[in-house]
Amino acid sequence: MDAHAAQHAVAASSAFSSRPEDLAWFILLLPLIAAAGIAFGVRRSPFLSSTLSISATVTAFILSVALFLAFGLGGYASSPSPFSWIHVGSLNVDLGLAVDRLSVLMLVIVTGVSALVQIYSTAYLHGDPGLSRYFGSISLFTFSMLGIVLADNLVMMFVFWELVGVSSYLLIGFWFEKPSAADAAKKAFLTNRLGDFGFLLGILVVWSATGSVSFTEIGNALGGNPTALGGLASIAGLLIFCGAMGKSAQFPLHVWLPDAMEGPTPVSALIHAATMVAAGVYMLCRSYVLFQAPGAWPAHLWFLGDITALDIIAIIGGFTALLAALIAFQQDDIKRILAYSTLSQLGYMVMAVGCGGPDAAMYHLTTHAGFKALLFLGAGAVIHACHHEQDIWKMGGLWHRLPVTFRTFAIGTAALAGVPILTSGFYSKDAILVAALDGGHPVLFGLGVLVAAFTPFYMLRLVIVAFFGKPRTDAARHAHEAPMAMTWPLIALAIPSIAVAWFGLGDFLSAHFNPHFHAHEGGGLFGPFNHAPLAAVFGTGSLIFGVTAAFGIYWGATTDPLPERLGLLSRAMRNRFYFDEVYEAIFVPMHDMVGRLAAAVDRWVVSGLGIRGAHGSVELAGRALRLLQTGNLQTYTFLFAAGVAVVVFVATK
Amino acid sequence: MNYSLLSLEILVTLLGVTVLLADLWIPASARKLLGYAAATGAGVLLTYAIGSGAPADGTAFGGMFVVDALSNYFKGFFLLAALVVLLLTVDLSDTIKGYAEYCALILFATVGMLFAASANDFVLMFVALELITVTFFVLVSYDRTRSGSLEAGVKYLIMGALASAFMVFGIALIFGSAGTTNFYEIAAHQAELGKSPVFLIGLALTLVGLGFKVAAVPFQMWAPDVYQGAPPLTTAFLATGSKAAGFALLMRVAFSAVPEITAHWSRLILVIGVLTLLYGSLCAIPQRSVKRLMGYSSIANAGYLLLGMAAVSLSGSTAVLTYLGGYIFTVLAGFAVIAVISSRAGSDDVSVFAGLGQRSPILATGLTVSVVSLAGIPPMAGFFGKFLLLKAVANHAGTERFFLVALLAACVGVVISLYYYFNVIRSMFWPKSVPDLTPIAVGGATRLALVLSIVGVFYIGILPNSLVTGARQAAAGLAPQSAVAGHAAAASAPAAAHH
Repeated sequence: MDAHAAQHAVAASSAFSSRPEDLAWFILLLPLIAAAGIAFGVRRSPFLSSTLSISATVTAFILSVALFLAFGLGGYASSPSPFSWIHVGSLNVDLGLAVDRLSVLMLVIVTGVSALVQIYSTAYLHGDPGLSRYFGSISLFTFSMLGIVLADNLVMMFVFWELVGVSSYLLIGFWFEKPSAADAAKKAFLTNRLGDFGFLLGILVVWSATGSVSFTEIGNALGGNPTALGGLASIAGLLIFCGAMGKSAQFPLHVWLPDAMEGPTPVSALIHAATMVAAGVYMLCRSYVLFQAPGAWPAHLWFLGDITALDIIAIIGGFTALLAALIAFQQDDIKRILAYSTLSQLGYMVMAVGCGGPDAAMYHLTTHAGFKALLFLGAGAVIHACHHEQDIWKMGGLWHRLPVTFRTFAIGTAALAGVPILTSGFYSKDAILVAALDGGHPVLFGLGVLVAAFTPFYMLRLVIVAFFGKPRTDAARHAHEAPMAMTWPLIALAIPSIAVAWFGLGDFLSAHFNPHFHAHEGGGLFGPFNHAPLAAVFGTGSLIFGVTAAFGIYWGATTDPLPERLGLLSRAMRNRFYFDEVYEAIFVPMHDMVGRLAAAVDRWVVSGLGIRGAHGSVELAGRALRLLQTGNLQTYTFLFAAGVAVVVFVATK
Repeated sequence: MNYSLLSLEILVTLLGVTVLLADLWIPASARKLLGYAAATGAGVLLTYAIGSGAPADGTAFGGMFVVDALSNYFKGFFLLAALVVLLLTVDLSDTIKGYAEYCALILFATVGMLFAASANDFVLMFVALELITVTFFVLVSYDRTRSGSLEAGVKYLIMGALASAFMVFGIALIFGSAGTTNFYEIAAHQAELGKSPVFLIGLALTLVGLGFKVAAVPFQMWAPDVYQGAPPLTTAFLATGSKAAGFALLMRVAFSAVPEITAHWSRLILVIGVLTLLYGSLCAIPQRSVKRLMGYSSIANAGYLLLGMAAVSLSGSTAVLTYLGGYIFTVLAGFAVIAVISSRAGSDDVSVFAGLGQRSPILATGLTVSVVSLAGIPPMAGFFGKFLLLKAVANHAGTERFFLVALLAACVGVVISLYYYFNVIRSMFWPKSVPDLTPIAVGGATRLALVLSIVGVFYIGILPNSLVTGARQAAAGLAPQSAVAGHAAAASAPAAAHH
């Protein structure tokens, strides 16, 4: 057996030398090694912990870029040598990595943002007693996220999916001594579990229908027989989508994301902008083949008719985008504005998937990862400068006190708002609007345009109130620029916010989902205006509208004029449309009632009859049997001989 | 004769003799070196045995001694157990009087186990067993100044002598009725021999002797007393090497010598298995001594293993071998901790383990991993072994009511075991009283032994494939050449073979 294992190891090591794509294994394992090293080795030294974690992530980033250049640009897809993990009956799970355009792009995003966030954190959390724990958790998180990205089957993805849940729990609750942080961590974890339950059911449905959990094999099975999922096709898709609904915080499971802002700001940048929340969208794109199968409902759901799972996904995404944008209008906490903006952009991406544009969704995911991480880190710099003040109305006039932060934040805002030609956000948002239009969803297109007008409005409200005007508190008056370790990650993130669209990323992704894709003639920077003028013009128009409105209302304002003008609507926005209150009113009493019932059953039936009864009788039997064990040798030999007699009698009978 | 087949046995003997002789010249202050040397030797032999050095299949001594996949499978684990136990002795060398002899005795017991793995004849089987048992008489009573150790030694001696007497009597009856003691030759005539009551009585008495070794009901009485009284490292070796040797022989006799009779006795083995596992699980509940608890746990585990044997199928034998592999790592991890703590505190009451999580994280990890694995919880080795065993039993549960009952009993046993295993964890992390919280220093050799065992437990639990493949090859090689057809028939339809 061991000779066999040795052969296997030899085969694996020679495979490393001949297959560069096996680099993916290194990339995946580096952060895990760092996490283990911190947990078991250098935990006592914050400096060593951060160095270990950062160097592992930076190395992973460099390897990811190498992989991207080697395979991504060559358009070459391959799967590094898998080795079998579980073979139980008809369930075969191989530990295999999917290395293709989709995953190498995500590798670069995740390792890149993670590395920058960690460098930034060394300054932001300087002197925090839990620093080693922080870097250990963040390494574990990076490992889990890379696992989701590289998983080539649903079971492996689910395992890492849960690991992301656990490590984000640790990070959101990093300051666990604050009750609000501990509660937020719990809320995020539980809300996610709710979605994961559906995801798991979805995996089971897919497995039972296609007999496989590997993405490639599912694709082949559905390619050979598009109706392999039978009447459960749409249900399976929606169940899988439940997982995405949790991680990517889609309505009605969106409530955890704003609360998760209780974690340290760099964590928000990593988890709630670039990685964890992107996992849901990424998973939808990875398993897109499931949604391409013709939709079908079980017989008793006939009334759903021609509506497909994708339609429902698109509607949920679009609704989330609008709802979150409206809530963002009336938030005063700088991080919450960004959190709702993230929700809104995620809604956009999910809507794009639903409209049949996974390439557009991935495109927006990529650009959004860059500029939203930038915005969060910028917000962190502002909060840091203002002595942990997060209310934008208590800031003001920061633009010349925090020059680097202001300039990079402005670039991030421009990208999020979608300033044409200059910023990456414009192109990816345009791709989504085009997807809605091409997918035959004019209503969702209109909704997208509306959100595109709202986005610059609430972002400029944030910029104008926080950075311009007169300082409104002492903290703002004495603000000073953050240290180098915090500013240069901002600069590094500002570059892709502008430049990422110049390299044909959209075409790169489109070619992944559609092998017959050909780049448009006359692409380039003005491409959107040439081949889909309607979307581009509407997008630009909504931007101008939003910007004008924001300047008109907020330039020079010292208090928010909106509550007076909008009245009740504003109150509703400010209170997040009372979702938390409604959930509390409905779920908490219900929960209490079920809880009380369960407690009663547990106390009287399970614990009383079951456990105590069983425990009592078992304990009694144990004590009775112990009487046999007298310790007396004569008894033992007698029992032994008696036993021999019985065995011989039975054996020869 | 091809002496290379015996290379491992010869080398381990030489190693033991070298340790004994070296003690004459090495100063008492440097005796730790002996332990290191013995452990290094065992480690080198282990890598040699599982690497290129494994002798090719063949027989020696006129068919008495056989080298095949099964013997190689077991020999690797015996050497591993010896390696870990020897490593553990190093840091406790000051507390062991006559340290060199202790190491040498462990090596000699290992030689007995190596022979047991290769025994293909009732006579060699008996000699190998006696080599193990006699060495253990000494090892159990090694702590001469402690009456508990002496009492355990005397009990083991008398019960062992009784078992040996029955066994030798059984072998005589076998020889008398069959005219041979070679497993292959008996297998060739088992159809006629199965009708001879003399032969059956002889076989049953032989199995009684083996049942004593593995502590199966009703021959289990010695185990708790001896496990509790013996020095902890002796107990560790008793629970791993000696028990595995018993199963190696049990499997060889049952499936190589008399597969058809084993198929007839499937129900008997099943009943013994169920009684054994229930007895072990139930008696473990009120225990406060952790070593005694491990004694009962060892009985319970023998019960599970017997269930796998009762399945009389390739999957059953594979499961037994896989389970044993994981069990050895698991038990070694647990006893490493028990040895350190009990030699320090002078007691092995559950209460001395209180607060271990704070006193020494690595010790707490070792004991937790061990106990959780024994309870059969993924992703530990114990889960996978138990899963395969119960699966093998469940394969017959649909057609045979006995197997269904056994399956249910096994599940009950698992649930009961959760209770007492987690009791240990509870007192380790959530003690009732505020314990002594002084940190415990753990020596390098102990640390190495612990890490080795813990990694093994996780490796087998998470990536069991290589072990299962090896176990399957070993199990498949059990059928003797002349009786392949008979065994295959018995394996495929054990239920049909009953009267």
